[in-house]
Amino acid sequence: MRSEISCPGRLDMEPVPENIRLLKGAYWLAKLRWIAIVYVVVGTYVAHRVLGVGLNEGALYVIAGLLVVYNTAVLVLLNRLMQADHQVPCRASNKIASLYNMIVWVWFNRFTNIDPRVSGQAVKRIINLQICTDLLLLTALLHFSGGIENPLVFYFIFHMIIASILLSMRESYLQATFAVCLFGLLVLLEYKGFIGHYCLTGFVSTCLRQEKLYVLGMFFVFTTGVYLAVYMANYIAIRLKHTEYAYRQANLMLQEKDRIKDQYVLRVTHDIKGHLATIQSCLAAVVDRLAGPAGGAQEADLIHRAYRRAVKLTDFVKELLRLTQMRLTDKSEMALFSLREALDSAVAGVQLQAQEKSITLDSNIDSSVKEMLGDRLSIEEMLTNLLQNAIRYTPEKGSVSLAARNNQDDVLVEIADTGIGIPEAEQSRIFDEFYRATNARKIERDGTGLGLSIVRLIVERHHGEIEVESKEGSGTRFKIRLPKGRLS
Amino acid sequence: MGNGRILIVDDDPDFVAVMKVVLESERYTVAAACDREQGMDKIQADKPDLIIMDVMMSTWSDGFEMSRDLKQDPRYQDIPILMLTGVQEKAGISFKSTAGDPQWLPVNGFLDKPVEREVLLDEVRNLLSRKTRHGAGT
Repeated sequence: MRSEISCPGRLDMEPVPENIRLLKGAYWLAKLRWIAIVYVVVGTYVAHRVLGVGLNEGALYVIAGLLVVYNTAVLVLLNRLMQADHQVPCRASNKIASLYNMIVWVWFNRFTNIDPRVSGQAVKRIINLQICTDLLLLTALLHFSGGIENPLVFYFIFHMIIASILLSMRESYLQATFAVCLFGLLVLLEYKGFIGHYCLTGFVSTCLRQEKLYVLGMFFVFTTGVYLAVYMANYIAIRLKHTEYAYRQANLMLQEKDRIKDQYVLRVTHDIKGHLATIQSCLAAVVDRLAGPAGGAQEADLIHRAYRRAVKLTDFVKELLRLTQMRLTDKSEMALFSLREALDSAVAGVQLQAQEKSITLDSNIDSSVKEMLGDRLSIEEMLTNLLQNAIRYTPEKGSVSLAARNNQDDVLVEIADTGIGIPEAEQSRIFDEFYRATNARKIERDGTGLGLSIVRLIVERHHGEIEVESKEGSGTRFKIRLPKGRLS
Repeated sequence: MGNGRILIVDDDPDFVAVMKVVLESERYTVAAACDREQGMDKIQADKPDLIIMDVMMSTWSDGFEMSRDLKQDPRYQDIPILMLTGVQEKAGISFKSTAGDPQWLPVNGFLDKPVEREVLLDEVRNLLSRKTRHGAGT
């Protein structure tokens, strides 16, 4: 049983759709901007009034005011975008609801009831607009607070990182270029004296706008810094995307494997339960004295039936264990052994079964077939399994034959019968675990469906190949190619 | 014997044998068929009062199809069907909740194998008495 605690919800690894990711990013930017506005107001006040740094206080408050107006506009734009996509008529109650939603989204980053149809392109445009406006206002802010002298110039880097995360690589480089142009223009205009310069007196001892080398150096470091930040953030973002993708794939694969395993367990328990249910019912009838007098024929019949089913159940469990064991141990004991002896021994082992059904059992082994490298017991098990199958599904007085031909590197073993054959549509599935051909089921209801899976596993362990040719009603031929000497 | 005639359709001969013993001990007349075709033949030859069938016979939908065929046939739709199965786990579906759905599993009763003798007999008695009370159509 799957425990709810140990198994995290499958949705955990679901990828966030691009448009939703962008939308969250846009709201996140707006939220950061409120903090930036407070920072500008408080910073201006403290720098000017407390620390006595010379800057154009009034202009900075105006910029803060502009930021408030513009951030509200951004939120309204985003909200309208969501509404347009929601296709909700704009009523008063809706306005209040959307205002409430807006506040929840902005402050708690909690997104509920997002329409998955929100256009990613439209959100992207809003993000680009936000970043451009921010860069413009930041440049204006710099101008009124010392220009090149103000270390706030490095805050441009934040926008470069945000652009790299949220936008495409091309867009983030364009934003970087825009930032470089704005800063370059500001520095150039102040340097040439086309616009005024508000010296940060109290922060720097002399005005730096005319220091050619300083200005050039600053501009150079700024430019390289901005582009490097975009390059690195893009690099990291792409790497993260790849890793996320790989994890998602791995997770999907594990889920699929888990599902297959669950199905396997269901299959196995079902087969075991079938036998157990019948055994229990037979014995219950005996215990309840329903089956006539004690020691009577009916009672004996039921006990006999229960016994036979117990034997079948044991066979099933044995084969299942064998298969699981083989799968768990990667390597089998490989040694040189006489393939001829193994073939002879397998044929001898089924002789009696063939005789009981008056089936002719032919064996035609090339005299040159000698030794091979492998696990003799497994090879014999594989051959016996195929021979027993051949005899089981061949009517009385039919024939079963085994032939082995020696090639340079391998031995070709063929086991053929004149039995019921395998319907063509089912031939590809006969090696699957638990699969039983429909006509085989009619002959023997309670086969395990594991025999041929074991056969295939043994052949694969020996780097061999097995194929089947069959015609329903006239017979089946298994061809096995066994390499003589490759170490696993 | 005269409590009622029951037809068992199941491809597990051991299970059929033990069901026969259990039902005959309660004086039911029991006939058995191992697949859908044989089952239909027996129903046509001698209409039973109750059919007990397995969901999965030679193919895994045999029981479904047979129960649907019977319920659509005006001659046989009044015969109650009790479905027994061990297939529930494998399919991962709870048949019990869908039993009785005319489109999906049009049966009158549903029990999981192995079934306790008393539970089985109660269900058989119940279905047979319902049939006599309601007459045709279930």
